[in-house]
Formats: sequence, structure tokens, C-alpha cells
Amino acid sequence: MLFNSIEFAIFLPLIFILYWFVANKNLKFQNILLVVASYVFYGWWDWRFLSLIIFSSAVDYFVGLGLKKEENESKRKLLLWTSIFVNLGFLGVFKYFNFFAESFADAFMLFGQKIEANRLNIILPVGISFYTFQTLSYSIDVYKRKLEPTKDIISFFAFVSFFPQLVAGPIERATNLLPQFYKKRNFSYDKAVDGMRQILWGLFKKIVIADNCAIYANDIFNNYTDYSGSTLVIGAIFFAFQIYGDFSGYSDIAIGTSRLFGFNLKQNFAFPYFSRDIAEFWRRWHISLSTWFRDYLYIPMGGSRGGTWMKIRNTFIIFIVSGFWHGANWTFIIWGALNAIYFLPLMLMKKNRKNINTVAEGKFFPSIKEFFNMAITFALTVFAWIFFRAENLSHAMDYISIIFSKSLFSFPNLNIIKRSLFVILITLIFLFVEWTQRNKKHGLEIKNIKFPRIFKWSFYSFIIFLIFMFTQTNETPFIYFQF
Amino acid sequence: MKNFVRNIFLFSIFALINYIILIIIWGDYAHIFLKKNLNYRIGSYGHMFSRIKEIPNLKEIDILFLGSSHSYRGFDTRIFKKNNLNTFNLGSSGQTPLQTEILMKRYLKIIKPKLIIFEVYPNTFSIDGVESTLDIIANDEIDFEIIKLAFKQNNIKIYNTLIYGLYYDILNKKKDFKEEIIKGDNKYIKGGFVEKKLKYFKNIEYNKKNRNFKQKQFDAFENIISLFKKGNYKFIFVQAPLTKSIYNSYRNNVFFDKKMEKYGFYFNFNEIIFLNDSLHFYNSDHLNQNGVEIFNLKLIEILNKQKII
Repeated sequence: MLFNSIEFAIFLPLIFILYWFVANKNLKFQNILLVVASYVFYGWWDWRFLSLIIFSSAVDYFVGLGLKKEENESKRKLLLWTSIFVNLGFLGVFKYFNFFAESFADAFMLFGQKIEANRLNIILPVGISFYTFQTLSYSIDVYKRKLEPTKDIISFFAFVSFFPQLVAGPIERATNLLPQFYKKRNFSYDKAVDGMRQILWGLFKKIVIADNCAIYANDIFNNYTDYSGSTLVIGAIFFAFQIYGDFSGYSDIAIGTSRLFGFNLKQNFAFPYFSRDIAEFWRRWHISLSTWFRDYLYIPMGGSRGGTWMKIRNTFIIFIVSGFWHGANWTFIIWGALNAIYFLPLMLMKKNRKNINTVAEGKFFPSIKEFFNMAITFALTVFAWIFFRAENLSHAMDYISIIFSKSLFSFPNLNIIKRSLFVILITLIFLFVEWTQRNKKHGLEIKNIKFPRIFKWSFYSFIIFLIFMFTQTNETPFIYFQF
Repeated sequence: MKNFVRNIFLFSIFALINYIILIIIWGDYAHIFLKKNLNYRIGSYGHMFSRIKEIPNLKEIDILFLGSSHSYRGFDTRIFKKNNLNTFNLGSSGQTPLQTEILMKRYLKIIKPKLIIFEVYPNTFSIDGVESTLDIIANDEIDFEIIKLAFKQNNIKIYNTLIYGLYYDILNKKKDFKEEIIKGDNKYIKGGFVEKKLKYFKNIEYNKKNRNFKQKQFDAFENIISLFKKGNYKFIFVQAPLTKSIYNSYRNNVFFDKKMEKYGFYFNFNEIIFLNDSLHFYNSDHLNQNGVEIFNLKLIEILNKQKII
């Protein structure tokens, strides 16, 4: 079920009413309702793949119980590896098998040996990269004794399948989300209203910004040989806003929806395009994934301790793995490696934690230096997005070679500019709103600001109007569903 | 909690009223590039407004043509007039059976033709027909049937245009509108035909494909046939010629032909006359005036020979 669908517009109020008006007296009943609702939500896409979630949840639940009982270290390790093997095994088969099979076949070709790659004819289960990482973090935390394993099977299954964030995150840690299923949730008016605002802003980002930028990004990327270098730069910028609007929009809807049910999820995006360097960008972009890799991969490998070569090795590993997590394609690996190259100088010069606070804090306008740094960081990010968006490496390289040709200095395609004027205009307004809200949790948070109700409601109505005026009439799934 | 539910309810009403007001303001003042999902165009491409205006004055119509642009660009009422046939062309851009059904419910009893020639372009059975509904909303009246169709098609562009159209009709803002007879290369001919300035098609190759037919279009098609039968109207189905390059690119032509033959007399002119892609078409699926003449004369010959009229 898509957040931007009529089905979800019916599903959400229905579950909300059942949750607060029918099941509100019994915590267990509320959790059962959430499990059932989550399975319906997921099964709407393809009920057959529910078995994967159920199996994955069951394995980690029993691994958790086993880890509690077991004191023998090697047996504990075996239990942990069972969880890792099952979760990454599913991911490996469904997401990466064909990539490895084809890459091996290609590698043999280089040595003159022609072998046929045995491809599996399977589809990627939606959200598998998200829920496997979420449930895996539980097993690792229990193994490290950072978390007490749960005996409450309903709460655990609800934690793994919680519908707002099941298919595209944020990837929640068991330490944050699981305990929320144990306690009675009380309805908070302010929290629910702010949740609604966040949902509205998420829908605006997805439907108005991302889906409309996608029209031009797709046109330019799909027909890149027909356009000049300057137009291809515009295409890459359109894609930068498409992916930001799409993914952060999803996260906003997920977090907002969770708040309606009394849950608090972690912030997943913190206005990343206002970052002053790449290190800051990665502290603000897909925060739940970056911190997951930091805590479960980078730090166990030694992190930034140790010698220079170890730091370089660890940085490359974490960025490349992060790229590979996004998809089984060399383009994602290069995208990750490129970000590692951007990041390394900052780390080696110990400047990677220079920009911790919000840009231009306490002021409206940034300084010239801050503006310049933001522009450079954005340009580097946009350049890396070309690899992320390209179909394959040769597509990316051809695209880049046209950008760095003489045509970079020609005027961009007038037809594209004319057709996309509205999108450019609305994206600038969107950026302005996000800039003014950059020290808040989301673009529509109005905590501690008093506006007359008529003014607020008129503003929200206008956003709803824009959503309906500029929505695509065909179905537009979220980009991150494919990851 | 009660406060929250109450405020959500109040806000929904407030937002709905605001939405209607904003649609009207947006429709009146916004630039066309800001009206992505509001497409209210009186006198739009296809001259539907002029066609509808003619209907009350029609008398003794021998043949009524229905269908898509292949109809209003394919059946030249002047050629039929020369052959002593009084005809009217009610084709419109992208008209699918869903819209034809509405037009027939409105106008069949007024026009009372001796024969109905329904141009059945297979592609109109495989689309939703949103553009044609918008055309009817803007250029004809809004009634309960069109509101029902809007819900059936469930498209935000139709809902927005319908709201704006209602406002336009209530204030009777259409009354002073006069449609130009000549628009660019297109000239409206009395009786509903639109003549295109003579142009020639530059041939290109098309990839092989299938049409994915929609059951709701066949359901509407059957409703139309029931209407014809109920009123004892004589009818035939005609598929207008396409260029060979586009016609042969579809794999399921035979399937469609067989389906149409079950409904009544059906003539697929792609198999009856052989035209030249470059000389008789101005684009891949529309005849130029040279092609129209050959097609129409052959149709008249068949009608006479088989004593259909």
C-alpha cells in the first residue's frame, strides 16, 4: 500500500479509530491490531512475501531468547550468526544473487572464458533491506548485552513490522522503538496534530516536489544524448530534489503517522542540502542508515581509531557497503566510493566534525563563507547523484562526459526550462520554507509559534490544494521501495 | 481525543470549501503552466463547442458519425452531401465509448439519424478517456451523467475541471463565447468535420506492441448498442484507415476485429482499401484530405451496394 494512495487514505483513519476507540483499553489488543494492520499494509502489495517477515521475526525473537539463556560465548556467537545468516541470506538471495552471478560471468569473460550467468527469476520483496536491518540490530544489541531480549512475542512482531516504517524506514533501533510497545500509549493532542502536519509536509515533498522534478529528471537522463552539458546539469539538480523529496517525504509521513499512534521515531533527514561539508551532509541524510552502519560496521572495525591506512580502509568500506545496500549495481558502489573520496580529506584533516550546529544559527542569512560551502557541498552531492540515477556505469560516464564538454557553457534547453518553470519556482519556495525551518524537526513544525487558527488552516488547505493540483494522475511509487 | 477528531472534522469542511474557492480563483487567474490538473478549455482542440452548438438546429439526418478524432477528421460531411446524404459528425478528440454513451443519452433522440456509423478505433478501448471527458465538461453541459462518469473515471483532473465547470455554468459565463472556424491548420466544416491543411506523413518504423483493452470500455460499448437497439436505430461499425506502419505494429488487430464482428456489421478499412502511408496520411493515424476522399467514397459505395442506406 502506498502512502500516496486512496487505499491508505481509507486504511489510516480506520486503523486510527480502531486503535484509539476500540482497542484503547488493552495494550496487548492494541499491539495485535498493529501487527494485523501492518501485515495487511504489506500484504496489499504481495501477501506471499509476508512469510519472509514472519520467518525473519520468528528467528530473531527466538535468537533473542536463546541469547538471554546462553552464557557460553561460542554458543552465543553461533546464535548471533544464525540471525545474521538468515537476515543477510534473504537479502543476498533476493537482492544480490543476480548481481554476483553476472559479475562473476563478466569477470570470466575478461579472461576469455565465456560462462552463462544463472539468473534467478525473482522479484525483490519491498522493504527487505529495511526490516532485515531493523531486526538484525535487535539480535546484535541483545548479543552485546545492550538490550534485554523481549519475551513478548506480539510486541516483537509489531516492532519488526510496524507499518509506518516497514517498507522504507526510518530503520529503527530496538533500543528506541521496542520499549514503546511495552508501555501504554496515551493520546497526545499536540503530538497528533504535529504528526498530521508532518504527514502533510511529507505528502507535499513527495507529490509536488519529487514527482514533478522526476518528469524532467527522467526526460533528461533518458534522452541525455539530445541535450547540452548545461541541460544535463539541470537534469542532475532535478534528480537531487526528486530523491530528497521522495525519500525524506516518505520519512516524514512515516514519522507523522507513528505519532498519531503515540510512537516516536527518530528523525531521518535534517535538511541535508544546507550542509557545509560532506561530513555534515552524511549526518543529515538518511540518518537511521548512516548511524546503523556507524554502530554495527564502522565502530566494530575500529572506526577512526588506529592508523591512517585503517581509517582510510574503514571509511571506504562503510561508504561502499552503504552504496551497495541501495542496490545491486556498480553505479551504487561508485556512488558510495565517491562519497568516501569526498569525506576522506575532512577526516584525515580532523575537520569532519567542524560543522555540528545548524548553519547560520540565530540568523536568517548565512555568511558568504557558509553560502559558498553549502553551494560546493550541494554541487559535490549532485555530481555523485549522477551515478545513483544512471542505469549503468557507461550511462553515468557518458552523461558526465557531455557535462564536461563545450556545451556546458551553452544556454540550457529552452523547452525544458519553459515546461519546468513551475517546478523550479515551487522548489525555490520549498527551499525557502525548509531554510526557515532548518533548526526544527520538519518543515511544518510550528512549536512555540502562535498563529490564529484561520491563518494556519488556510495555509494547510493551500498545501492540500497544491498537492491535488500537481499530483501525477498515474501511480508513483517511492524510489526507496526498490531498495 | 474528542477534540482532535472534532477539529479534524471541522478542518475537513474548511479545507473542502477552501479547495473549491481556490479552484475557481486558480482557474480564473493562474497561468496555464500552473494548471496541471485543471484543464477547462472552451473551444479546445477538435471544435467540440461548435459541433454541440449545431445540434439543436439539425434536421433529417441520414447518417450520424461517432467516435474519436478519426471520426471528425475522417468523415467529410461535404462528400456525403454531394452524394445526397445529410450527415452530422459527433466525433471528438479521444472520444471513448464511455463518453459516446453520455453523448448518445443526451443527443440521440434529438438527432434521430437513419443510420449511425460508429468509428471504432481500437486504442479508444484501451484508454481511460480522461481528455475526452474534459472536452465534454468544457464544451457541453454538465449533468448528472457526467458527474457519474467522473466518479467512474476517478481522476483528479476530471474532479478539478468539473468543479470549475460547474462554477462556469452556474454563472453562465459560456454564453458569449464564439469559437474560431479556423484554428491554425484546422478548419471547422458545418456538420462537424474538421479539415486539416494538406500535409504528408514522413514514414517511421514502430515497435511491435499489444493494446491492453479495458473491460469498462466494452461495457460502455454494449450499453451504447442497447440504446441503439432500444430506439430501433440502424448502426454499423467502421475502423478508419491507419498508416500500415502503425497498424501492423499492433499484434492484436485480429482479436479486435473478431470482437467487433460479434456486435454487428463491421468494416475494417485497413483491410478494405489500400492507401499509401506517405500520400494519404498527415500523421501515423490520421488521413489527409486525399485519403479522406478515397475512404469516404469507398464507404458510400459499400453503403449503397449493401443497401445499408
